[in-house]
Amino acid sequence: MSSLGRIADAVAAYNQFVTAEIARARTDAKFAAELRARWAKIRKSVEWTQSPTGTKLPRLALPDTAEPGAIADFLLGQGLPGEFPYATAAYREMYLDRDQGAGEEPMRLFAGLGLAEDTNARFKYLSRNQKSLRLSTAFDGPTLYGLDSDHEGVLGKVGEGGVAIDTVEDMLRLFADFDLTRPDASVSMTMNAPAPVILAMFLAATKRRFGPGCLQQLRGTIQADILKEVQAQNEVIFPVDASLRFLGDMIEWCVPNLPKWYPVSVSGYHIAEAGATPVQQAAFTLANGFTYVELLRQRGVDVNRFGPRLSFFLDCGLDVEYLVLGRVCRRLWSIGMRDVFGADAKAQLLKLHTQTSGRSLIAAEFQNNLTRTAVELMLAYLNYTNSCHSNSADEPFTTPTEKYALLASHAQSILLEESGLFKHMMNLFGGAPGLLALERQVEQGILDVFREMDTLGGVIPAMEQRYQRSKIQEAGHAYEQQIYSGRRPVIGLNRYVTDEPLPHVPLARTAPRKQRLQVERLKAFKKKHAKKAPTALQRLENVTRSSGNVFGELLDAVEVCSLGQITACLTGVVGKFRPMV
Amino acid sequence: MAAPPLRLLTAVPLCDGHDSAISTINLELARHGIEVVYLGYHQSVAAIVRAAIQEDVNAVGLSSYNGGHIVFFKEVVGQLKAAGSGDIPVFGGGGGTITPADARVMQRNGVDRIFFAGTPLDRIMAEIKTRYARPAKPDRKFKGDRALARAITLAECRVGSPNPATAGGTLRPDAKKSRPKAATTAGKTFVIGVAGPGGAGKSTLIDELTSRFLQKIPRGRIGLLANDPSHPGTGGAILGDRVSAIYAQDDRVFFRSLATRGSLTGLSAAAPAAIEILRSSGEFDLIFVESVGVGQESDPFGVFHGRKLVDAVLYVLPPHYGGRIQLQKIALLNGADLVVLNKCDDPRAHAAKAEIQTRLDQNQRGQHLHATTAAKHSDLGVDRLFAVIAKLGGLDPARGGEKACQMEVSP
Ligand code: B12
Ligand SMILES: Nc1nc2c(ncn2[C@@H]2O[C@H](COP(=O)(O)OP(=O)(O)OP(=O)(O)O)[C@@H](O)[C@H]2O)c(=O)[nH]1
Ligand SMILES: [Mg+2]
Repeated sequence: MSSLGRIADAVAAYNQFVTAEIARARTDAKFAAELRARWAKIRKSVEWTQSPTGTKLPRLALPDTAEPGAIADFLLGQGLPGEFPYATAAYREMYLDRDQGAGEEPMRLFAGLGLAEDTNARFKYLSRNQKSLRLSTAFDGPTLYGLDSDHEGVLGKVGEGGVAIDTVEDMLRLFADFDLTRPDASVSMTMNAPAPVILAMFLAATKRRFGPGCLQQLRGTIQADILKEVQAQNEVIFPVDASLRFLGDMIEWCVPNLPKWYPVSVSGYHIAEAGATPVQQAAFTLANGFTYVELLRQRGVDVNRFGPRLSFFLDCGLDVEYLVLGRVCRRLWSIGMRDVFGADAKAQLLKLHTQTSGRSLIAAEFQNNLTRTAVELMLAYLNYTNSCHSNSADEPFTTPTEKYALLASHAQSILLEESGLFKHMMNLFGGAPGLLALERQVEQGILDVFREMDTLGGVIPAMEQRYQRSKIQEAGHAYEQQIYSGRRPVIGLNRYVTDEPLPHVPLARTAPRKQRLQVERLKAFKKKHAKKAPTALQRLENVTRSSGNVFGELLDAVEVCSLGQITACLTGVVGKFRPMV
Repeated sequence: MAAPPLRLLTAVPLCDGHDSAISTINLELARHGIEVVYLGYHQSVAAIVRAAIQEDVNAVGLSSYNGGHIVFFKEVVGQLKAAGSGDIPVFGGGGGTITPADARVMQRNGVDRIFFAGTPLDRIMAEIKTRYARPAKPDRKFKGDRALARAITLAECRVGSPNPATAGGTLRPDAKKSRPKAATTAGKTFVIGVAGPGGAGKSTLIDELTSRFLQKIPRGRIGLLANDPSHPGTGGAILGDRVSAIYAQDDRVFFRSLATRGSLTGLSAAAPAAIEILRSSGEFDLIFVESVGVGQESDPFGVFHGRKLVDAVLYVLPPHYGGRIQLQKIALLNGADLVVLNKCDDPRAHAAKAEIQTRLDQNQRGQHLHATTAAKHSDLGVDRLFAVIAKLGGLDPARGGEKACQMEVSP
């Protein structure tokens, strides 16, 4: 049995435990008294606050009951915010008092376009409209595939859909003028197959600017989730085993050296956007997460050391399941980590980034996308996501233009800062009948998928049998068929259609002149380091052939080598990924 | 019998992994009785053009999302034209990223049709069927791979037609050349039929052997014929073998996907003709013909019928074939010239090796079991198997030798 079967069993066992405890609370007077006493203490600890219109409110809403069974049900089944099994929330207060600058600001806007300086300018534009420094980087296609901007046939894609990064010098330009050591600064990078190379470039650049001591302070996340790349996003360069080795090397290096960094973001977003249902998204993502835990344990890394350094990333669309997806995932993760992997409290916590669904946004009547995103944001926050990206209304056409990126940013501020919904009181709906019914069904669906994958031998064997890919493709096909047969209403597309032609939307594209400039810069870099690069690459090759830690070597190699040179060197040793349909 | 199915090539451009749209389009095309040769995502212009030519498709459909589509589509159209295959129309989509203004530019650049965001799937299908359905005819203008490919297409049309003798054109654009020249070419092209249960690793192994061919034999060409089942209901097919054939992206490789179109032998009924066409071209040193995953009694290459289609049969087994009894029943283990146990990274492989060798020893034909792990990069077992094949097939060492074997590692 793979660990997925054991996890499904553990969850079933935990649910039985909760049911038994509820029954015990109702029959065992001593236990009932204990629960009541604890409950009274919790209630007393809740502070009160006041809305701007003068209504007094508890900062934490609790079920209005004194019945021991109901108390046990809430405390064990859902958990107080910040307490096992974390269905309610990861932390006690989350967004409370956001307008006063309290707590962590969740907004992280994914941005990247053109050359490094263009993205740097976009970062500045966005951070003017935000309290803390949150720089989330989108890379262009060539960078995502580990190719240099001068690689044959890629010129037209340079700087499209993200920023072009070839060298450590580009990395310096990308974050120029930002103090990345500020306590409220956090940098995210949506980078997968070449993640170790890009992280090494980032560290080389930040060390140049802030000195080697900055490693202790650097906060941020690199996606580096190669399993979902094989399953959904399709950015894989090296064979799976080699990819996992490079990832393991990076995580192993990060855990002691970059204590505030998240070296992997286990991502369901791409799985869902590729077509998966919400239940499949959650099941595949959690299963991938547990697979990383197993792999790191096999490498001898203590679960309590890397467990807290894993983060998660989910999609949030308009389907009803999204009302509870984050809640259910937190619950399942904590039970699995605690009861199957023996993780402690910090390592049980699923920390969540959410992005509203890009696929739900359509070209026809595209301004309706503002409403769609607003609804999805609401769902994301009701799940108390720790971090959030909101899509721009021009998503179907182009890398967001300033205007729509700003509207997307303001949508989050309106929800958290302007509206009173999330400011005064935690746990708005937890325990509501609809929510409970959904949670039960979604959880069951996820466990069913776990068991199915377990019979295939676990995540990686299932992947080799194309299980996840074929499920995702089937679901994606069904989704489009639902739309075009009218069974899934999409306003402006198959319902309430106006016959207006596609609007003229301003586009953010990279001028050929800039693309050529990037190539020139790269050529200059390669020329400057022509003497040193071969030695560095030879050393990298040697370490890769041996069983040494590749990440350590990359930290040096990026000083004199480009991304494409490094990718070619690594592929030469480990070979290329063989893709699947 | 209706007209032969439409054949299309679909792909996603370089540095682009957005394959959700094309996966849906592929499924819809197959559902509508169309044969789709799918090349995969992150594909270069050269790979797309090469595949379009070798597969002799009616049209090429591209799905592009990561920008740069104006340049990319233009290159595909241009290189097709430059290769003498400008008759193959190029169409595609990319949701909202391809704007109507872009589409006008692209059409001026020779792109046939762009399907915008929100186009109903049924409309896309209907339009593709009317726009691109045209019967394949012999064409003397075609040279090189396109000529070979067209000859195979015509063979496919002929075998599927009610009167094979008169339907369609001739075997090759030049009728005289088209006659198999067994006497002159015998011994030059070595043809290996590859069979084995579904999922044994036939395609992966062939691809790895292709890489060895390209490394060790610096000149000359290799031909690959991949048979895949047609959907029994619709007649359509998704021919996806090219996706995983990473070493087939080389001009020294001729790769052709063949849908079985109702043939239940494990091969397309046109496979014998296709083999002959490649053989008689005199261009190929080695040809692999992969059959559909076969059962215990199958004999796709006619080993037991006295008219063996190929020079040698390679049978691939995975370690999880069942047990000794199942092994006994696999007829081709008696007839195969090469028997391979693949997936030797599987813990069951050790026991399987001994069991299969015992089974082979019963045949008293001196068959030796080859052990490979095709999924592993530069597996020694595959190296050894290639050496055996090279010897068996008389692949001329003078053509290359060891020099080409050294891999280029760093740039
Ligand atoms: C789904 C999606 C993803 C998924 C892809 C999953 C997958 N395996 O396909 C994920 C989340 C992984 C993803 C990742 C990225 N994405 Co994306 N993605 C989208 C999204 C939301 C939808 C595209 C889609 O599949 N639609 C569903 C299809 C079925 O419908 P459609 O697009 O309307 O297409 C219709 C027709 O055009 C036609 N059609 C399409 N293709 C073809 C082909 C043929 C032959 C035919 C006949 C018809 C046809 O069929 C459809 C029905 O009518 C778009 C934005 C949007 N809302 O459109 C961004 C978008 C395409 N992505 C974008 C970007 C930038 C990226 C990333 C580069 C981000 C990054 N920097 O990391 C990565 C790159 C991933 C990679 N490997 O290349 C940009 C591209 C920007 C640009 N060109 O300027 C977009 C526009 C979003 C944006 N505004 O930023 N993405
Ligand atoms: N573990 C392991 N997996 C392998 C090996 N060779 C191939 N595979 C995997 O087995 C699966 C099937 O491989 P294919 O090469 O498509 O097998 P096939 O025999 O061509 O399959 P069909 O054409 O569908 O009958 C893929 O997931 C391969 O990655 C191997 O040596 N070891
Ligand atoms: Mg195969």
